[in-house]
Amino acid sequence: MSAEHPRQRLARRTQHEVDTTVALCTFNGARWLPELFSSIAAQTRRPGEIVVQDDGSTDGTLDVIERARAELPCPVRLEVNEQRLGSTRNFEVALARCNGRVVALADQDDVWYPRKLERLMEEFDLDPTVTMVFSDADLIDEQGRRLGRRLWDSRLIGRVLRMNPVVAGDMFARRALTTGCTMALHRRAVAASLPFPDELADPDTPMRHDRWLSLVAAGVGTVRPLPEALLAFRVHPAQETGVLSRSELARALGRASLRAMFHHPQAESAGHVTRSRQLLVAAERAEELGDFDGARRLRDVAAQHRRRLLTDASVLDRLRSVRTGMTGGLYGHDVLGWASVAADAARAVRPRRGRRHLEDEG
Amino acid sequence: MTSRRTRVVMVTDTLHVGGAEQVSVDIANTLDRDTYEVHFCATRSDGPLHDKLRDDVEVEVLGRSSAWDLRKMVAFGRYLSANDIDLIHSHGRGTMRLVAACRAMGLVHARHVFHDHFGRLHLDRSAGPTLTVPLRHGVDAYLGVERRLCTWAVETVGLPADRVELVRSGVELRRFVEARPIDLHGELGLTPGTLVLLMVANFRPQKDHPTLFRAIAELPVAEQDRLHVVICGSTTTDPDYYRSCVEMLERLGISRCVTALGVRSDTPALMAGADAGVFSSKNESGPLVILEYMAAGLPFIATDTGEIAEAVRGLGAGTLVSPRDSLELSVALSDLIALRPEERAEIGRVGRRLVADRFEQHHVTNQIEGIYRRVLATHRGKVGLPTGR
Repeated sequence: MSAEHPRQRLARRTQHEVDTTVALCTFNGARWLPELFSSIAAQTRRPGEIVVQDDGSTDGTLDVIERARAELPCPVRLEVNEQRLGSTRNFEVALARCNGRVVALADQDDVWYPRKLERLMEEFDLDPTVTMVFSDADLIDEQGRRLGRRLWDSRLIGRVLRMNPVVAGDMFARRALTTGCTMALHRRAVAASLPFPDELADPDTPMRHDRWLSLVAAGVGTVRPLPEALLAFRVHPAQETGVLSRSELARALGRASLRAMFHHPQAESAGHVTRSRQLLVAAERAEELGDFDGARRLRDVAAQHRRRLLTDASVLDRLRSVRTGMTGGLYGHDVLGWASVAADAARAVRPRRGRRHLEDEG
Repeated sequence: MTSRRTRVVMVTDTLHVGGAEQVSVDIANTLDRDTYEVHFCATRSDGPLHDKLRDDVEVEVLGRSSAWDLRKMVAFGRYLSANDIDLIHSHGRGTMRLVAACRAMGLVHARHVFHDHFGRLHLDRSAGPTLTVPLRHGVDAYLGVERRLCTWAVETVGLPADRVELVRSGVELRRFVEARPIDLHGELGLTPGTLVLLMVANFRPQKDHPTLFRAIAELPVAEQDRLHVVICGSTTTDPDYYRSCVEMLERLGISRCVTALGVRSDTPALMAGADAGVFSSKNESGPLVILEYMAAGLPFIATDTGEIAEAVRGLGAGTLVSPRDSLELSVALSDLIALRPEERAEIGRVGRRLVADRFEQHHVTNQIEGIYRRVLATHRGKVGLPTGR
């Protein structure tokens, strides 16, 4: 329990409250930012504030932000980190500074369509249980030319998101379905997500802020995907959120298949251990918030990650474990889920050389 | 030709305590007896609400064990024929499907009015063929308890707008005015002056007890000690959820502030013995319980969700807070604790007056009787139904 009376906390929350905050994290984005700011200035529903958290840019980003203040339709609250935090921690700091009833996340290299905020906000206005809305995006190249593809389809998640009017927490646990710049969160979800747990920052298997926020938002309310493209998502080599072309995707799937058959088991298992830990932390948070059912489902997915570890179990037992995951819906019912099933089945029957018992390492 | 009364049957799954079931019982009890002969059919099981039905309501319990229990469907058809039923008023989507299927199979020829209480539209706005086919072909009038449902019926299901009507739930004031208060302070061993808050809600996730618990936990200990929450509702519907709630209370250190009574059929008496009502549901289409608190003369704190919350907003009978917002709920609790008894009583009087003026069951029943007349009038020529009055 907080030492402060809830009345004071509520007063503090409402004192500077605005309808919408845009939370923008920047790092050496001077090249892209003017276009982003112009697109925010052109929104049909204007934000109440823009919170900018810069992660120590050295390319004139801060000058661009200063110049943009005049153009933007609301206050810009800029803060610069004393040391580099990386994008996930940077968003954590930015989110803690937001006063909006709804917070829309922005990436420095994207271009918003004029109705982006309006459409996202409509969903919050329509249904008070909504805690997060995220949309699809058109892909553009470095020069801003359309690539003729959508973000969701490029990640093979379009079908599953178009089929589900509401996304449950365990769907986010199975797959990274969201990209920060397409998301808007109700303050309930923002408050419940903070502080971010340390487990997210694993160097080999990080859980990005957008996935963590999605998991928490599903625990405190309804998460809605909007199948329309509300922004142009720039694809370029310097970005943190990668998008693969069709040929790159095919190559990646091929490499994954080969890994499933021949790769050294220890490295692949470590990823599952980490993901399992992260999901257990998310389950704990869901439990604290009273989403008992969500917590149970997150624990189920975490357990499935642990079952996917290499063990000394027999081939039959390992195949049974794959079947348990399938029948429990723990892989998901989409192409990526079936690919995981195939990969796990391949691992289960491959030669036993090199297997280790890793159950206790978690 | 001498006209006989129109024979109406209310059809629900069960007669257990629940919002939709209570609405069906209230309608059955208040339909005009000069015009209507009222029957009641619970397709699955009997329950405590059976005793709340008027003596002149004939009750049939079919004991259906599955959604498509063919034997019971035939029994349902026979029951309707034997009683020469003119109009079926079904509550709940499963029941609606059953009636529509019986009609499609030729087992039932009566008109069908469907009363939709679906409270999960925020999770599922879709309408697959298992809903659209029975709704389009097996239902003569669609009654939605909230605006969103009516919009869904027209826009998503594709029902003609003239077959869809918003019917906000009402409450039978008499049940609450006549209730003899239960001495909750005495029964629970509470010190005089402790504010007893009643929450009428079965223990299931939709009712979001955890947000209420978190709100209590956020209060200073001195304020926690001045209130006691009494929860009336099933603890066995979802035992895992109930167990998690109990664990949460222990984890938050507020077990002393909450008592779960389980299912009770004397809620009006419980309400009469409480000081205020609270309701923390995530999402509702009604919720009827707000009107019940008002009818009982209780000031209330409820989450701002559903048609009734919309209807009573800003009328001074209680406080509405955002769903799932423990901080807002906590502040509302704190404000309620700070009220003097006479201030609480005045808010309660405002609520009861509002119920009498706007939300009394007879307003709702009048509206429903109008719908019955329209539905029967469009069909009367075909089957020679009685004219009623």
